[in-house]
Amino acid sequence: MIRSLASAAPPPKASRQKKDALFELAARAAIAAEQARSGGVAAVEKAAKAESRRYLRTGLELVASGIDVEAIDLAFAAAQASAAASTAAGDGGPELELRLSLVAVKGIASGEHPYVLMRRMTARLGSEYFEKAESWILERIRRRRVRGDSLVVPGDMPDVVRSLALDKAGLERAIRTAGRDVTAAALAGCPQESVDLAKPLFGKIGGAVLEDDAAYLRSRLSGDEIAQAQSAFLDVVKGLEEGGDLVLGEADSVDEDPAFVAELTRSILGLDAATIKAALRASDGRLLAAAMQGMEPAAHNRILQALPNKDARRILDAIDEADPLPRGAVRSAGRQVASLLLAAAKAKKALKPALERLAAIRDWPD
Amino acid sequence: MIQWNADLARRLACREEEKRALAPLIRRLMELDRKARSSGFLSLEEELREADDPLLAVGLRLVMEGLSGEALEDILATYLLAEERSGWPFLKACVIVEGLIALAESDDPSFMARKLVAYYGADRALAVLEELERPEPATPAAGR
Repeated sequence: MIRSLASAAPPPKASRQKKDALFELAARAAIAAEQARSGGVAAVEKAAKAESRRYLRTGLELVASGIDVEAIDLAFAAAQASAAASTAAGDGGPELELRLSLVAVKGIASGEHPYVLMRRMTARLGSEYFEKAESWILERIRRRRVRGDSLVVPGDMPDVVRSLALDKAGLERAIRTAGRDVTAAALAGCPQESVDLAKPLFGKIGGAVLEDDAAYLRSRLSGDEIAQAQSAFLDVVKGLEEGGDLVLGEADSVDEDPAFVAELTRSILGLDAATIKAALRASDGRLLAAAMQGMEPAAHNRILQALPNKDARRILDAIDEADPLPRGAVRSAGRQVASLLLAAAKAKKALKPALERLAAIRDWPD
Repeated sequence: MIQWNADLARRLACREEEKRALAPLIRRLMELDRKARSSGFLSLEEELREADDPLLAVGLRLVMEGLSGEALEDILATYLLAEERSGWPFLKACVIVEGLIALAESDDPSFMARKLVAYYGADRALAVLEELERPEPATPAAGR
């Protein structure tokens, strides 16, 4: 249902130069949206102070003052009349800027994801800015590499996600049917592994949005609200299964050997950053990504923090691109990584217990 | 269902022979839906490369990213209005947008078809629906 068509008007015409300037304004607004989600009112106030364009600055000030999203149009009523008059006089620039700023301000006030907001804003500039917006977003993703903390709400959700992930189309159907808002809220209470299984289904940008939204909601929703979202997600899965649209796989084939995961994790947490860096900075990203499927999130963080940013990004890219692997493949990768770590640990004269633990993993039986 | 205003309705007007070209387009959108449902949305990458309409290419990319609901509709409607199409190109664009929204909502192909045949008008919608639900004729490039 194309509801927006009936009420929307064509975007006013503006010069290329004005549109380029508005692209920059959209980028600043998207960054403000990002900061607002992590820094709250203080971040919005700071962005308002730094903003030179009147409409966006005023809008940010209104958001910082706690204005209701519904009241934003009303607050700009006089400005809308004046901008429309400019358009009638042949200059659509002010009206285009106002419309774009209103989209920005409403998005920031409602906590919309900055990349979705960037898409919305730049749509007003025409399809020729689509690729430019995409490049901008991808660059932000490339630079932003933060693995969120996990908050695990007890329940079946992680196991169900793992089972669904055996058939990617099945997991995707469940997520799309549940809706991204419900899914992000449900994933907010899952280990990072669940997010890692879901996000490749939506490409780099969509995956980053899902991961960010889950992290954002983790800090905003109560445990009960997250549990409700998980219950709603599981109801959707059940409904799809009963309707024959979905078949839950047997999780065992990707489920890791808990003893192996615990031991590999403990070994990595027991190593110093220099040893990890020496062993893994030049390692094959795909190998490490596969091995990381057999580690707990604490070990992921330990490795990524030990590596230089460039190498950490390379590994994270490989994780994004990796499919969930069967137990045997993960274990094999884990053994190879243990072997690399063991060589580095010996060279750094690590303590005997650390060496023994790594050797045990290297020789872990099938 | 669809909220039209008088100006938009006027822009939709086109010749009957032009309207006939809608069926292959609807078939193609239904095919995208089937493929997404069976192999996942990222499998639409190939269709994305072959998309001859910029609105379809942009919309598919957004749907693959997981965008849906009000945000998707807002973005696609904005592109649609910015292009100032009218007549057959506008009708085609409306069907593409409506189809992409249905795709993003995970409508099954037959439900999608029921939404899209409305663009034929009440007098022809049922006949076209019957035609669409018959097995596809052997023209793999139809609608492209």
